[in-house]
Amino acid sequence: MAGKVRLSSNDNEVFDVDLDVIKLSGTVKNMLDDLGVGEGGDASAGGDDEIIPLPMVTGAILKKVLVWAEFHKNDPVTRDSDDDTSKRTDDIGQWDSEFLKVDQGTLFELILAANYLDMKGLLDVCCKTVANMIKGKSPEEIRRTFNIRNDFTPEEEEAVRKENEWCEDRDQTPR
Amino acid sequence: MPNSWGVTKKLRGLNSVQDEESHPLNNTDSGVKSNGHAMEADGNSLDHDTGQINRMLPKEIILRIFSFLDLVALCRCATVCKAWNGLAHDGSIWQDVDLFEFQRDVEGAVIENIARRCGLFLKRLNLRGCQHLSDEALKTFAFYCRNIEVLVLQECRKLTDETCRALSKHSPRLRKLNIDSCALITDKGLAVLADGCTHLETINISWCERISEQGITSLATRCTQLKTFTAKGCPNIKDECLRALGENCIELESVNLNSCADITDQGIKFLAKNCYILEHISLAHCPRLTDDSLVALAHSCPKLKTLEVAGCTEMGDEGFSALCRACRFLQYLDMEECAHISDNTLISIAEFCHSVERLCLSHCELISDEGVQALAQGAAARGGTLKVLEVDNCPSISDASLTALATVTSLQRIDLYDCQGVTKPAVRQLKAKLPHAKVLYYFPPPTPPVAAPTPRQRICRCCVIL
Repeated sequence: MAGKVRLSSNDNEVFDVDLDVIKLSGTVKNMLDDLGVGEGGDASAGGDDEIIPLPMVTGAILKKVLVWAEFHKNDPVTRDSDDDTSKRTDDIGQWDSEFLKVDQGTLFELILAANYLDMKGLLDVCCKTVANMIKGKSPEEIRRTFNIRNDFTPEEEEAVRKENEWCEDRDQTPR
Repeated sequence: MPNSWGVTKKLRGLNSVQDEESHPLNNTDSGVKSNGHAMEADGNSLDHDTGQINRMLPKEIILRIFSFLDLVALCRCATVCKAWNGLAHDGSIWQDVDLFEFQRDVEGAVIENIARRCGLFLKRLNLRGCQHLSDEALKTFAFYCRNIEVLVLQECRKLTDETCRALSKHSPRLRKLNIDSCALITDKGLAVLADGCTHLETINISWCERISEQGITSLATRCTQLKTFTAKGCPNIKDECLRALGENCIELESVNLNSCADITDQGIKFLAKNCYILEHISLAHCPRLTDDSLVALAHSCPKLKTLEVAGCTEMGDEGFSALCRACRFLQYLDMEECAHISDNTLISIAEFCHSVERLCLSHCELISDEGVQALAQGAAARGGTLKVLEVDNCPSISDASLTALATVTSLQRIDLYDCQGVTKPAVRQLKAKLPHAKVLYYFPPPTPPVAAPTPRQRICRCCVIL
């Protein structure tokens, strides 16, 4: 039986989490290793009242992160090969894409939490989701999507447009 | 690719996230006061003039997002705002550039632009089919991108020895180079290249018709770590070239000499002699090769997995039997048009080569049911590794072969075009027994009987003529 650990968010919400769920977080895993709470070990070995503080994550976001981790706890460990993980963004699972149907603020907070907690799977799927929001859009559409102000002067804009237009010629021809 | 710069590691822990410096975008273009650190930023309550994305996410994260974009999207991001312009030019997301889709449109200026942008970050560049590229562009590229490891210049037909010189000078880390169809490159270029790029592991010089013994000898003596050598359709690759390779490059795993028509058995003996770890060899359409080549491979190359000898019409049962006995790991054998082989070769394969997955026997007109049955029995008995069998244009095989093949459940594809001894019901039965296999066949429709002239009705004779 895998033990449980207690996590607390920066707004002092406390979560009891299964070890095999939170093992997806490299950061928490490292903390547990430091405390001497091993895999399959008993959390009480480190003291029953031991609470892992996660000062960078709010309770609301941590809750979502744990839902994600619960669903993915049995995923096969991905190899760190840099060949086939390349630029694909069309490989987001259905559950994940439903899970990530959230407003941009939440999505970005998830990204920051995933990064802080060192959860590569969650970080990648979130980043791919944002990448998909960029793909296929014109610069103006991208600005509108993310509410980004165009801070180029007309001259500057013309210059960067020229510099990057070689991609455009190609894109307009049918593939 | 995203792993290689390890954002997760870089940003893990409290310090880097709290550190204001890791949020260069917080204040740069907005003037909006950021409230401390990003986790507290509640996007909805803040000014909407600039997007949350730039306020909330540190530079490294936006770079990670950009790393999932294709070139077109990346170039568009560069024109969105100043901050993104800077990020889109960050070399870390330009480690791997593939311009194959752009091909003809790519001109020197683009390469120069990319070279400056990527600089030392660029490790892999694919310029396949960028026919307009000149030596000048490649010189600029080589100058800026000195960490290049994999370079594809296939069909950049204008390139000459000058490009080789630049790579030799600036690209010491080059491991894989493809100059397929860069036909202006000569022995001199290859020799210069080999001088500087001594870590080459893979080279493709297919259709570089000017390259001959001198160039290959330089390559072989300088680049002794060569693992993959591909030289399809090089008419000047002869036995002496193979001697140089065999004597110097003993790590060769894969050699492709397809259509190097002058090669003889002597060359293969030279090559095989020291290359014990050879796994893949293509000698297709080298018509001078005989059984002696197969025997040489059998003696020296026990690890052989792939052998392509299509069109080597002089080879026969004797050579293949020796090969099968020695090379028991064979997975792929292409013997198309090896017209002398008979059932004996198939019996040898069935007996010794238990890993065969793909077998091409097209136009091997002597093989008959006996051989196919032996093959099928062997394959079925072992639970089956055989996935693809091509026996098209083998007139001596009949329905009995199909009955035997129906027991090989591992089969995924069977090619039966123009097997005149095979009947339709037998094919149907085979398909029923192996529902997951693709069975390729074609029966011409029966010649329609000459239609009797139909009685004309209501049409007068002159209309018919018209």
